[in-house]
Parts: sequence; C-alpha cells; structure tokens
Amino acid sequence: MYDLLILLLLLVLGYFFGQMAEKKHFRSIIKREEEYRQILTFAKRFPLTNEGDQKAALVGGNVVISVDYFKRFVATLRSLVGGRVTTYESLLERARREAILRMKADARQKGLNTIVNVKLETASITKGSKNQVGAVEVYAYGTGLSSSDDLLCQNVEANDSERSDGK
Amino acid sequence: MDFNNPKIPEGINVTDEHPLKSLLYLVLGVVGVTVVALLILFYSIGYMARWVPFEKEVEWAQSIEASLADEVKGDVLQDWLFPGAAKTPKPNSQDLIRIEKITGYLQNLSDQLSMAQGLPTSMKVTVHYIDQPVINAFATIGGHIFIYQGLIDAVTSENGLSMVLAHEIAHVKNRHPIVAVGRSLGLGAVLSLIAGVGSDNFSSSLAGHINLLTSLAFSREQETQSDIDAYNSLLTYYGHGLGATELFSVLVESSQGSRLPELLNSHPLSENRIEQLNALGAAIDVNCAKASLGCILTPMPAFIQFSNAK
Repeated sequence: MYDLLILLLLLVLGYFFGQMAEKKHFRSIIKREEEYRQILTFAKRFPLTNEGDQKAALVGGNVVISVDYFKRFVATLRSLVGGRVTTYESLLERARREAILRMKADARQKGLNTIVNVKLETASITKGSKNQVGAVEVYAYGTGLSSSDDLLCQNVEANDSERSDGK
Repeated sequence: MDFNNPKIPEGINVTDEHPLKSLLYLVLGVVGVTVVALLILFYSIGYMARWVPFEKEVEWAQSIEASLADEVKGDVLQDWLFPGAAKTPKPNSQDLIRIEKITGYLQNLSDQLSMAQGLPTSMKVTVHYIDQPVINAFATIGGHIFIYQGLIDAVTSENGLSMVLAHEIAHVKNRHPIVAVGRSLGLGAVLSLIAGVGSDNFSSSLAGHINLLTSLAFSREQETQSDIDAYNSLLTYYGHGLGATELFSVLVESSQGSRLPELLNSHPLSENRIEQLNALGAAIDVNCAKASLGCILTPMPAFIQFSNAK
C-alpha cells in the first residue's frame, strides 16, 4: 500500500516538475535559436567556399538532460507493448537542440559564423544500472569557419546587423 | 550558390500527444491485460486442480498436520483465527480422554457419512476436534475436517451435526480445498511476479500459500453444491432429511443485526440455505413416509454435550 502511495507521489512530482522544466527549456531554446540564427550549420564536410582567408576551429556543445520519474514510468509501460516512446521524443529533441545551441555559442565566442561537418553524438548515462532514473547526453561538434558575409545568403536583417557591428 | 538555414517548424520531431493521455492508455491497457490473464489463470487453475491426485493432496497437508500436532492444535488455530485472544489452559488427562472419545465418535460418524455420500475409497476423511466455543467447522486439503465444540453445542441432534460433517465431506469429495489452494497459489504467484518480488522471496511466498488454511476461500456456488450433496447423504444415511437446517437456524438467530449482504459473503446467507434445503424437502420431509424407522431425530451421545470450554 505504502509502495503504491510512494509511486503515485513520485509520478505526480515527476510529472509537474518535469513538465515545468520542459516547457521552460523549450521557451528558452526557441528564444536562443532566434538569437543564433546568423550562425549557419551544415552537415556537408567541406567549407562552403575556398575563397578568401578563413579562420577554422573545432567547435562543440555538450548537454546532459535527466529523465524524470514520470517519463521513465510511461516509457517502461510502453516497453511492454511497443510503439513510439513519446515521452522520450521531447527529451531527445531538447537535448539535440540545446547541444547545437551551445555549439553555436562556442562558435560565436571564437568569432566564427559558419559551422560545417556538424555531427551529433548521443550517449545514455547510467545505462544498464537498474532502478536509476537515466540521463541522456548529446554532444554536437563541427568545424567552425569565418566565411565572409557576402557568401552567405542570410536574411537581410541579420546581414544588416552584422555589417553595422563590423563597422 | 545560396546557403541558408531555414527555420524548422516546431513539433516535427515530437509526437503531439499529451503525456497524461499516453499514461492513461498504457495503464488501462496493461491493467486490463493483467486482469484478463489473472481471470484466465484463476478459472483454469480452478478447473485443473481437481485432477491433482488425492495422495498428493494428503502429502501436502502433512505440513499442516505437523503444525497442528497434539494438544497445541487448538491454540495454533486460535492464534490464527483470533490473534491476541486469551489462550485456553492446557487440557488435563481427563480432558484428553474426553477429546479422544469425541474425536473417535466424529471420525466414525464421518466415515459412515462418507460411505453414504459415495466418497471414493481412495479418499479418506480425517476429523480433528477442537475444544473451543467457536461455531465453526471447515475442510482443508488432504481430507482434513476441523470441527469446534461450539458448533457441536449449537446443534441439537446428531442429524444436525451430520449435516455439517456431510457438508465438509462434500467439500473434500468435490475437491474444493485443492481448487482454493491452487487458485490462491496461482494468484499469489502472478501478483508477486507483478510486484517484482525477488526469486528468494518467491519460493517462500509460494510455500506460505500452501500452508494456508483454506476455511473461507470457497465460493458460494461451492457452498451451495456442498449443501445439496450433504442433504442427499443425510437422506441416504438416516432415510430422511430432518435436522438438516438446525445449524442454519441457529446462525440466523445469532447473526440478527449486523450482517453482510450475500454478495460480500463467502457463504450463502443462512436464510437462503434453509430455503434451498426446504425446497429439497427438508421442512415437511417427503421421505418420512418411506423411512422404515420413521422420522426421528437421532440424539447425540451424552459425552459430547458438555464442554469445559464453555
């Protein structure tokens, strides 16, 4: 009986705090993605152009996000019947976007405005250990470049603001 | 060549489903499947348990017998049924002789009723007499029947006592105790699997179920069936069914006031049992005319009437 009450309490706590944190995180992600829109990311392996004098550096961003009790409980039930683990989908989405944002922040700090050869690595922390709420790690990395502005067809506003910054 | 990063629409990587909705569906689904599985298990075990050989049942029951050995018999049961109740003093040698005499009488009566009921010769009923003022009697696995002094005091004739004994014999004959133990074993096994009981505790929890005395675990249908069988063996043994309702009449009187509705009770209501027996002819016994000795209630022997437990 007490086990059941504790389970319910954990579920309620996990749900409220987990959902609160997730909503807050998504708001922050959307806001910052707008901030870093001028930094372009590409999966292609080579620089967009070979012209001009370009700086290059490894840039990366790393994030670890914990699963909450509620998400894990739903996922455990889901593992009995199969299907899409919807509670983990949003978790991984957050982790991927956060990692890319941190990579972009790294690039901006190094004065780079383009990232090519972007790759994502995912690792599950606490993998295999039982009765432990897991966490997911996503590492985004790529080659940051300082391409000249006119090569990049960004939106006009972004170009304008950057030009005015430069002068 | 143009290079750009278009803005990716929100929500394309995440299924748009409320987490509570998926939880609800999953919990309902899993609970539903579990309940169906339990029901299937419950009924299939109930169906299959009757093919467990009676010798096996006797073997399993030996653990119960051992724990109820000799004079502590009463106390162990007393502890189990009424924890915390005052212990009765250890019987002296005179009591022991009396208990032995009563047990012998009950055993003899049961053997004759078993014959009247057509209990297969491979099955043997063992009667245990308990000198306690409790109106109760029950049957458990291995053909063991327990009968209390309180019940003997409650009925007025041997016919009434025979009805109770025959009722418990009918439980044994119809394999109700092993069905009940099988069901509680099966349910216990599944529930402890769900609760995630470790393999160490698992076997011991199963053993706990085997030791369980199954006095209350019969269904109302099984009780009704046993009533009918018991009544028929009274007809065979005495030639009439008088006295069959004696105990139930006492129970009706003593249970006036606070009572559970029939649905919540493991036994059918005493009124309904009387009614059913009357429908079979217990009230105005149709067999009286046919009976060679006439309709006379057989009195109980004098030594059984007086209990020091009173």
